[in-house]
Amino acid sequence: MRRLFFVSLTIAALSMALVQAQELGRRLGGSNGPTPTTAESSRPAPKLADGTIDLSGVWTGGGGEEIGRLLKPGELDTILLPHTKKLMQSRNDGMDPYNYCLPGGPLRITGGFGWRLVQHPTVNAKYIFMLQEGNAHTYRQIFMDGRKHPVDPSPTWYGHSTGRWEGPTLVVDTIGVNDRFWLDGSGIQHTEQLHLVERWTRTDFTTMKREVTIDDPGAFTRPFTVTYTARLGTPDSEIFEYICIENNQYGLAQGLQPPVKGETEK
Amino acid sequence: MRRAAVVPLLVVALGVSLAAQELPTRLGGTNGPRPAAPAPTRAVPRLPDGTVDLGGVWSGGGPVGDIGQQGGLKRGYLESIMTPAAKAIFATRTEAQDPYNYCMPAGVPRMAADFAWRLVQYPTTKPTHIFLLYEGNMHSFRQIFMDGRKHPVDPTPTWFGHSIGRWEGDTLVVDSIGFNDKFWFDRRGHPHTEQLHTIERWTRPEFTKLTRVVTIDDPGAYTRPFDVTFTAELGSPDSEILEYICIENNQYGLPGGHDFNPVGR
Repeated sequence: MRRLFFVSLTIAALSMALVQAQELGRRLGGSNGPTPTTAESSRPAPKLADGTIDLSGVWTGGGGEEIGRLLKPGELDTILLPHTKKLMQSRNDGMDPYNYCLPGGPLRITGGFGWRLVQHPTVNAKYIFMLQEGNAHTYRQIFMDGRKHPVDPSPTWYGHSTGRWEGPTLVVDTIGVNDRFWLDGSGIQHTEQLHLVERWTRTDFTTMKREVTIDDPGAFTRPFTVTYTARLGTPDSEIFEYICIENNQYGLAQGLQPPVKGETEK
Repeated sequence: MRRAAVVPLLVVALGVSLAAQELPTRLGGTNGPRPAAPAPTRAVPRLPDGTVDLGGVWSGGGPVGDIGQQGGLKRGYLESIMTPAAKAIFATRTEAQDPYNYCMPAGVPRMAADFAWRLVQYPTTKPTHIFLLYEGNMHSFRQIFMDGRKHPVDPTPTWFGHSIGRWEGDTLVVDSIGFNDKFWFDRRGHPHTEQLHTIERWTRPEFTKLTRVVTIDDPGAYTRPFDVTFTAELGSPDSEILEYICIENNQYGLPGGHDFNPVGR
């Protein structure tokens, strides 16, 4: 429902510019996303010269869904610690930091907007970058050079991510996030103890499965796993420029009210 | 002076303890990565296809306070070639109104100035894209199309515009149009219009340096094109881009005591 609302808002907001914008492909960025590839889904995932799977391209989705909907009915209830549940219940869209143009964190950077995965260098990559068209138009980096996590990293929005290959699966381990973003639009809170293990597998040419194990003893009763799916854009897809803070399209500009001091949370 | 004020603010804002030394030697922001040791005789690296490898973590390479002075122009020159409309806008601007201080994108050529940034040629062989990843101010990125495409005919104006690049020998030539008129070239507020057309010539004259000559052509704001020149310095080999999120608490703008467009200014 929220997704539909968001899409229609975005379309409405962008339609003024659409007429003259046809030269920018078929879209202006935002949640309408690149056109998904329909052909070639049966083709296997491409490989790079070093034998690793090539995950690069412009993708849509793979991180924006509400976590409760990816679990069995009622399962979320058994996972949330009491204070996490209470916090979630006290929250609404108008409080979501994402709606105020803050970074979405490692999960939501691949939700809601087109995003590009870059393996760099292409062969024997030392980095993987994920560039998000929206919301804050930021990027995330994953270290592929075998380094370890720092012992006590300064908490950041995207944390410290190290990656390795297990056969065809990219395994990304992340710690060191701050507790300022929500894990999803439903307001699931985490702490700085959050530890994510992502397993990215390009199951066919146009589909990427992302299995994420979420562990945070400060917020959840146990580690749990959710699976997202990303779809490849057509070969001519590009990431466009969506700058949320330019006019805060979805947040304040749409009439959402920021939380009044003292009224909400904790 | 401002530099000195921003760093402690940043440290406080991130709530970081000194235990953070494992994140190299810095916390991101304007203190930048440690510079690489000078290597004036070392050959510049090349990609498998023979083009110069411009990749790495760099500091500098764009205007911060004053595009004319920092770009090598005589004091007052830009004012002397401004159109009356641009001059009128310029006269009203104060640093406190700088959109950059409110976490808006820096635009071109400013992005590359006071935060570390990484240049990525992608893919490594016969790159179709160049990405410039900026640590600050909003932790954003710019892309340059290297696949031979043309500019769109009437692009929707954006902060980073539409950039296409090509090689002329060992010089990367980046041609950009399609900018909005919302960003400032520098803290002084040198203006431009949507007619802005930039041509950047990037060379790596030695291993640890990038030279960037930018031709700025904007008949809406300047009566003739002008060239400004900037230099970027390579970071030490262990340099990484850290995460600086301006909007997190708007470190320099509002908390720094600036009012946004105060009445009467």
